[in-house]
Amino acid sequence: MPATPGRRPGLYLHVPFCSAICPYCDFAVTTGDGERRERFLSALLEEVALGVPRGWEGEFDTVYLGGGTPSVLGLDALERLFEVARRHLPMTPEARISLEANPEDATPERLAGWRGLGVTTISLGVQSFDDEALRYLGRRHTADEARCAVDAALAAGFATVSVDLIYGLPGRGVAAWRRDLEAAVELAPDHLSCYQLTVHPGTMFGRRQARGERIEIPDELQARLFRATHEVLRDEGYEGYEVSNFARAPRHRSAHNTKYWDHTPYLGLGPSAHSFDGGRRWWNERGVAPWQRLVETGVRPIAGGEELGTADLLLERLMLALRTAEGVELEEMRSRYGVDLEDRDGERLVRFEAAGLLSREGGRLKPTLEGLAVADTLARELGNLTDPSRSRGN
Amino acid sequence: MALDRIRNFCIIAHIDHGKSTLADRLIQRCGGVEARDFRDQILDSMDIERERGITIKSNTVTLRYVARDGQEFLLNLIDTPGHVDFSHEVRRSLMSCEGALLLVDASQGVEAQTLANLYLALEYELEIVPVVNKIDLPSAQIEQTLEEIESDLGLDPFEAVLCSAKEGTGVEDLLEAIVTKLPPPTGDPAKPLQALIFDAEYDPYRGVVLLCRVVEGTIEPGQSVRLMHSDKEYEVEEVGLLQLKHVKRPRLEAGAVGYVIAGIKAVQDIAIGDTITGAERPAAAPLPGYREAKPVVFASIYPLSTDDYEDLTKALEKLVLNDAALTYEKDSSTALGFGFRCGFLGLLHLDVVQERLRREYDLALLLSAPSVRYKLKLEGGREMEVDNPGLYPDPTEIAQAFEPFIKASVMMPERYIGSVMEICRERRGEETTYRYLAVGRVELTSELPLGEVLFDFYDRLKTVTQGYGSFDYDMLDYRPTDLVKVDILVNGEQVDALSQLTHRDKARARALHYCERLAETIPRQQFKIAVQGAIGGKIIARSTITAFRKDVTAKCYGGDITRKRKLLEKQREGKRRMKMVGAVEIPQSAFVAVLKTEKD
Repeated sequence: MPATPGRRPGLYLHVPFCSAICPYCDFAVTTGDGERRERFLSALLEEVALGVPRGWEGEFDTVYLGGGTPSVLGLDALERLFEVARRHLPMTPEARISLEANPEDATPERLAGWRGLGVTTISLGVQSFDDEALRYLGRRHTADEARCAVDAALAAGFATVSVDLIYGLPGRGVAAWRRDLEAAVELAPDHLSCYQLTVHPGTMFGRRQARGERIEIPDELQARLFRATHEVLRDEGYEGYEVSNFARAPRHRSAHNTKYWDHTPYLGLGPSAHSFDGGRRWWNERGVAPWQRLVETGVRPIAGGEELGTADLLLERLMLALRTAEGVELEEMRSRYGVDLEDRDGERLVRFEAAGLLSREGGRLKPTLEGLAVADTLARELGNLTDPSRSRGN
Repeated sequence: MALDRIRNFCIIAHIDHGKSTLADRLIQRCGGVEARDFRDQILDSMDIERERGITIKSNTVTLRYVARDGQEFLLNLIDTPGHVDFSHEVRRSLMSCEGALLLVDASQGVEAQTLANLYLALEYELEIVPVVNKIDLPSAQIEQTLEEIESDLGLDPFEAVLCSAKEGTGVEDLLEAIVTKLPPPTGDPAKPLQALIFDAEYDPYRGVVLLCRVVEGTIEPGQSVRLMHSDKEYEVEEVGLLQLKHVKRPRLEAGAVGYVIAGIKAVQDIAIGDTITGAERPAAAPLPGYREAKPVVFASIYPLSTDDYEDLTKALEKLVLNDAALTYEKDSSTALGFGFRCGFLGLLHLDVVQERLRREYDLALLLSAPSVRYKLKLEGGREMEVDNPGLYPDPTEIAQAFEPFIKASVMMPERYIGSVMEICRERRGEETTYRYLAVGRVELTSELPLGEVLFDFYDRLKTVTQGYGSFDYDMLDYRPTDLVKVDILVNGEQVDALSQLTHRDKARARALHYCERLAETIPRQQFKIAVQGAIGGKIIARSTITAFRKDVTAKCYGGDITRKRKLLEKQREGKRRMKMVGAVEIPQSAFVAVLKTEKD
């Protein structure tokens, strides 16, 4: 499927280093000394220098540095990276550049430096404004340090300052979470990402839970926390435009992340990074060492990929669209995927509407707040091209 | 061979008392099989029999034995099945014998079934030789067992042969006892033919192979014969002896036990217990004691995957070739699709059939709750029988319902009598009485509705008697009952495969059990689900499955999308196996959990 015209692709750069590994994190991360970081950076520059794959169309208008913690790279390193990227990859002059940073790295000097390099959005991994919660999460900063970092970031002149928070910690109920949210709102960031703590196997929390420790909270409480998040932030003037993302104005929404949700192509570089060209998705080697070995021999460090059929694309698009407040245009489903949901799934739509999970407005299918909370189920039920029960008119 | 050199006998015993091992030993001793071909328990040929240590289909073997006086004898060992469900097969086997070895485990003593089998043997006027087995066991109580043989069975303990089938001790004495104490058959080869069919096997190349005892007359290839009860004629193709394989003979004469092949296509064409006679010179009457094997337990079998329906059909067609007691007819359920309503001789028979379908035909199955066959007297005088809840008429049309009763006999050490009487009371037992068989040993009898025995009765009995209780039963009669049909509703929609017929007093508990099991196994969905048990329109039990309110994953960026999509696809694959009842998806596992008998 060709890239949709008018939508420019996004560029993702993965920096896997962290000063320590958080017990909940299941991204491709590693600690590592200066020498290893230096070698990594050279390899990343080499991968960037390979340019876009053959047949890749369009100029990047968003760049996202994620990780890991890209803020652990020094200013010189970032400068070299941007310089090489601009030289080898097609980029619009006004491309928005986002950088993930830890509060302890966000000193006024560094913030000014990043700003000077053209970073437009800074995303701070605050996670909580409660010292005890921060310790539980294995973070290396305090609530006060977090406040200082947010204030400093706001003062540094970025187009958007975003704060990441985590909720659903065991023993912390709705009241504690409201305090966290209010502490964040008081600082008036432009954007908030509020993620529910998810326990992944293979993480420290995953191992602890496997040994019998209760970390993940009951889903009834999850639902209440989810609802509280959206309600508190709505009342404070933040639009919940995605399951976990809130913006004070449309211009503060994450333009780069939105590309993931509406099937705009993106190119991912660095270990474990995923790329999507509109019909194919592929991913790099996850480990730094194997990724580095391939890059150093001049080969694209790809570990695997898949060709997405119409049924796959449809399911993904619905799964992703139903995670956003905007939902999906029924016309888009018809023209892009050849599926008339009202025709094929009318009964199911009516059932979901009656249950207060979905609404149809102006030709769009939108999840309600309750619907957003069960978006996975909605997508599974609706995004099914091959369900045999449908042919029987079920 | 002269009649006085023939002995026809069987071994009767309680399960596990070592019958098959003893049979093996006799076969080995008489050279019936090469040592290198010897598999333990040769006569139990089906895997399930071997595994469970029970005999389901009886097998028969002819042994050559040279006695201590130098004379050669033909010993026809007619194996009998060892479980109450198969007592019709036991009867036919006994009818083919003149004598029986009554086997008692020296460590267990006399059990209910031993007694029941003895009564059967006495009914057929068999000469009995008591055999005390397992004398090698450290727990063997030989003296006490001999006392029980005298007091419980009324047999002469001095006639008893002591042996250990496992070790082979006492086998010589036993063979001598067979030829000296058991009578030879009588009969006249010149009289009109009367041969009893006591079993049949299906051979894919030869058709049905009848196993018979020739009582009078002679049967030989080329002869036209008639089956007296089913009134069909065939021409005999081959006759012979059963020496673990078929050994062809020119004829079988009165007194002989052997096989007959007569171009019969299916087991359904014959009735076990029928009499073969000559078409040209028929006997005046068939042999006595013919009884139809009637199924008393019914259940519907559905393939777990509807794609397997064809395979299930073929499997049942093949199974009945070997199992004349199994009946089946088409059935269907809205929730489970097409299946078969099957009739069984009892719960063990049901288990065996289910196991054979699973193992021999590799089918994954779902069984509905077993039911007995009820008799209904309708308003207006018409009568009907019903075993399938799906065919239960409108209750207002029923004047009176009747259910089958059994006479149950439980033997146990006296200390368990209180708990066992309690079980019988719970299960609506009538006329529950007991008597002392010996010091410390009692036999309890109770008239119980068969329907109450279908649900975990054996297991409860085993539990409360710590394995020391033994159980046997006979069908009694039909008695008036307060029958109701319990329906299970999921969000108001009836799940037909879960309906069942039960006594009104048991309806609530049964319904609640189903509701709770379903509530545990149906996954939560986006809306609240009510699971109810009802009689007619009246709700008698209820469980609720709350709606789930959050399942969305927190993060979904570049790398998560493929993983997330695959997860949804996998979940969806799981849902394809679900059955829709109204808007509710019920996984197969919920049906399995509910319909699984409570013993698990």
